[in-house]
Amino acid sequence: MQVHGLLRRFDPHQLALHAVLIVLVVLSIYPMFFTLVTSVKDIHQFYHSYFAVTYPFHWGNYGEAWDAIGGYITNTLVVAAASVVIIVAFATLAAYAFARFSFFGKEALFMALLALIMIPDMITLVPTFLVLRDLGLLDRLTSLVAVYVSGGQVVTIFILRQFFASIPAELIDAARIDGASESQVLLRVVLPLSKSILLTVAIMNTLMIWNDYIWPLVTLSDTKLWTISLGLVGFSERFAGMAAWGPLFAGYVIASVPLIAFISFSMRSFISDLTSGALKA
Amino acid sequence: MASGRVKTAYWFILPTFAALIALKYYPAASAVYHSFFQWDGATAGRFVGLANYAQLFRDEIIHVSAVNVVKFIMGRSFLNLVFPLLAAKLVFHVRHQRAAYLYRVLLTSPIVVPSMVLLLLWKFIYHPYDGLLNQLLDAVGLGSWRRAWLGDFQTALYAVIGIGFPWVTGIGNAGFAFLIYLGGLQSIPKEIFDAAAVDGAVSLRRFFRVELPMIASQLKLILILTIINTMESYVPVMVMTGGGPGVSSMVPGLYLYESAFLYDKFGYASAIGVVMTLILLVVTYISQRSIKSYSEAES
Repeated sequence: MQVHGLLRRFDPHQLALHAVLIVLVVLSIYPMFFTLVTSVKDIHQFYHSYFAVTYPFHWGNYGEAWDAIGGYITNTLVVAAASVVIIVAFATLAAYAFARFSFFGKEALFMALLALIMIPDMITLVPTFLVLRDLGLLDRLTSLVAVYVSGGQVVTIFILRQFFASIPAELIDAARIDGASESQVLLRVVLPLSKSILLTVAIMNTLMIWNDYIWPLVTLSDTKLWTISLGLVGFSERFAGMAAWGPLFAGYVIASVPLIAFISFSMRSFISDLTSGALKA
Repeated sequence: MASGRVKTAYWFILPTFAALIALKYYPAASAVYHSFFQWDGATAGRFVGLANYAQLFRDEIIHVSAVNVVKFIMGRSFLNLVFPLLAAKLVFHVRHQRAAYLYRVLLTSPIVVPSMVLLLLWKFIYHPYDGLLNQLLDAVGLGSWRRAWLGDFQTALYAVIGIGFPWVTGIGNAGFAFLIYLGGLQSIPKEIFDAAAVDGAVSLRRFFRVELPMIASQLKLILILTIINTMESYVPVMVMTGGGPGVSSMVPGLYLYESAFLYDKFGYASAIGVVMTLILLVVTYISQRSIKSYSEAES
């Protein structure tokens, strides 16, 4: 066993494998490393020791960046929280109906839903903007919640429906025999079994919202309402123009932290859902 | 009883469809309808028949955008199919389980970076004076290769296509390509490898004869996601070059956006959207079919 382990360790094939992978890892994460290192540099350190880690760290960069983009992050958190709750609530109801009920027009409605996958946001961009304008939602965060709720439905329903359909019928029938109403079955039996998949779709939608740039760009002219993707572009131009690279990179770190915290909190279940084929074609 | 259940089902799908009708189905129909109008979005507009479409086919900027988006699709498809797959195959063959897990986590980690941060980071990397790429070229004595990557007619488009080096963690929807390939490789039944080993299938042949056909559905998923995603995406171009210099890196999505929101040509923008949607449908259909026949021929 010992000898075998040693032999494996010195397998030249495996060594080459590790060598290539280590190079790939270093190259993949180098931009993030560079960002962290640069985020604590002052302008002198940036220009004189471009690649090196320099001391002392200038934590003040983070304060400066926060003052510039903190508000955008708060706005994004508000929009993301509201949107994700509504997306998941709507999609859960619809997915449960499609998975567990039979009703007239079910197949046709589901096809109509899936057809939306083939309708790019590009074609709906202009008319959706006009709908929001006519509803008086421009320059309100509500407009973003509205487009994210409609935009997140299809994929979320698709994933949840597959999961709900896989729940054993006995569990649901047992609850029904005990006199539970449909909503009670959903709340007490189905949802507790679905925590991990609900978390997965919540993450997917949070990613979509955190990264969206176009909707805030077309609906929000009041800079106080801007979300992080939109706010970062202006911030970036302003600080790059002043060659304030340290605070600029500190801002990039700050903008990434909430998403990273949220995802790493739930990454394990997310990755296992993904690799176990919940999203296979 | 039964009719009560049916009623419940309709109540359950009602919120979703109310949202979708207002903000998806109606806008899509409205776009098709208004593509036949000269329309500024404020007044009712004037019916112009196919004039928007005729203009579209004569429009120089559309021609440039079309060529660019094809280059974009080919470039990103290549990057998303090859590099994440290469990494997934390497990780798959690592025998030390804990090392394999560590590689998986590290190679996946860039997906947690918000995409706007990533775009702006790459914009910095290409920065003409202070950017990482030019500084690196200086540092290794290739200073003569320096250029304003995003401001140069020769390189702007390719610089945007090439973001995300070493391309293991894909961009956008394809960010999960590596994980999806790895999941596919891991779900290949062990007996198939054993049979291949008995047949004496060596590494490269095994890859093309055994592994590649077995993960054809994953490759198909990523290819289709990449094509759709790339055809629709214009934020990278918008943020990094604004379509410039000139219109050298213009893509259809950005031109649609500019036609509507900078020039108030909502009818023309709608026509661009309709044509893009039709092309998207055709391309998806073809790619789905050709890959299906490929995997059938191989297996």
